[in-house]
Amino acid sequence: MPEGSAALQLNVGDRVVYPNQGVCRVAAIDVKEVAGQKLTFVTMRREEDGAVVMVPEGKILSIGVRKVASAADVEEIYAFLRSDSDKADLDWKQRARTNLDRMTQGGILGLAEVVKGLQVLSELRPLPTKERELYDNARHLLVMEVAAALGTAEANAEDSIDIVLFPPGRERPKRTAAEFARPGGEDEDLDLDSDLMGLEGGELDLPSDEEPPAEPEEESAEEGAEEEEGGEEASEDAPKKRGRPPKAKPAEEGEPAAPKKRGRPPKPKPEVTAESAAEPAAPKKRGRPPKARPPEGAEPAEPAAPKKRGRPPKAKPPEGE
Amino acid sequence: MIRVVTLDPFDDKQLAKFNRTLYTAFGVGSEHSGSAEVPSGMSEPLDAEKLLDEVKGIRAYKDDKVLLLTSRKLKDRELPSGKAPTVGFARYGKDRAVLTIAPYKDLETGYKAIARHALHQLGTLWELHHCLDPRCSMYPPWTPSFNQGDHIFCTFCREKSEQKIRLAKS
Repeated sequence: MPEGSAALQLNVGDRVVYPNQGVCRVAAIDVKEVAGQKLTFVTMRREEDGAVVMVPEGKILSIGVRKVASAADVEEIYAFLRSDSDKADLDWKQRARTNLDRMTQGGILGLAEVVKGLQVLSELRPLPTKERELYDNARHLLVMEVAAALGTAEANAEDSIDIVLFPPGRERPKRTAAEFARPGGEDEDLDLDSDLMGLEGGELDLPSDEEPPAEPEEESAEEGAEEEEGGEEASEDAPKKRGRPPKAKPAEEGEPAAPKKRGRPPKPKPEVTAESAAEPAAPKKRGRPPKARPPEGAEPAEPAAPKKRGRPPKAKPPEGE
Repeated sequence: MIRVVTLDPFDDKQLAKFNRTLYTAFGVGSEHSGSAEVPSGMSEPLDAEKLLDEVKGIRAYKDDKVLLLTSRKLKDRELPSGKAPTVGFARYGKDRAVLTIAPYKDLETGYKAIARHALHQLGTLWELHHCLDPRCSMYPPWTPSFNQGDHIFCTFCREKSEQKIRLAKS
């Protein structure tokens, strides 16, 4: 028997939760021959719309399929949602990574953490579209699982969650960015979307104890660095950060870093050989190239008379006549 | 199609205005489809869930959404995490919802709030969840600011409801 099925014994008719899909019911467990191998497949039918998924029994645990939470688990969820402990990370990359993990591997508590985290974040500023969708997905999955765990209607499950999140008779509090600050955190101000906060990029600038404004050459160097980094970030589909660009790395010991110039990069230098190393190459002069010199062995030609301007002199008459 | 079924007498003009509001919000037809009787044995405040299950005599097609409208109070629901104030109740993704106009005397008196609650219940029938935006009709209805808002959806909820309606039509 595969390792995965040892920890999660499934029978036909069991209710399970497939990560990111919702509550499913095990419809069948049967052996099928695929590519010459006999594999045990668990067939699950999603309760919401009847969609069917077949998973090899050995991959059940690695996918994250689990049993539906119990009523005691749901009570813990209510306690967690009621608490004011969970603050979302302001670094969007970190937050997206964490939320993705919570959605797939976190169980019902992970779903509640995503809902709570994004709900608290929305009290600071409106959620971006992608996170609003994530919030809706997480809420949907949480509601469905709570409804399945308590055996109640989905509307009642949602209301029971929201009574905790939005207590009756009370408005939601307004949050400040300071509440989200983590002790010892470095990037506290990195992810405040200035558009959503109604602030310009300059207002989110670093504190005043930073170094004086860089010179234009340094700026161009930083811009060049940003352009280079842009290629990497584009692959991750990351939004551009506003505000002050990151500091340029300090130059290596001794030599100050040459400012990076815009435009075409310099041509690669020819390989240094022994001959070329002995004779340093003359610096390339601008303008018309000098005329080719005659070979050394040949007689030197008479220097050409300087060309005179104006009319040529008249020929002199022969003397002695 | 949205079918408004009254459980108590209402003014026709007010109902027509109410239907126009629903039509504007969802972009699907809305009409008053007659009245029905509250099941015998049920007394005020009405149990919303039981009412939805037991009310008879409603004629509707499969993809129609039925909104039962009453002037009687609904009983607050006891939920595992507390008591939920109940102005209306809808089964998520199903076809029936109930809404009370209480504590208002008629539709006109508290029109804005009633229309907002109606949008909330019908939104639940179209599989919308509660929203984070206090201006949206899908915001939790027991919050103090809910009754002061307009009967509109936020962009996210409007797009989602339109998508669900399109899917239902196709």
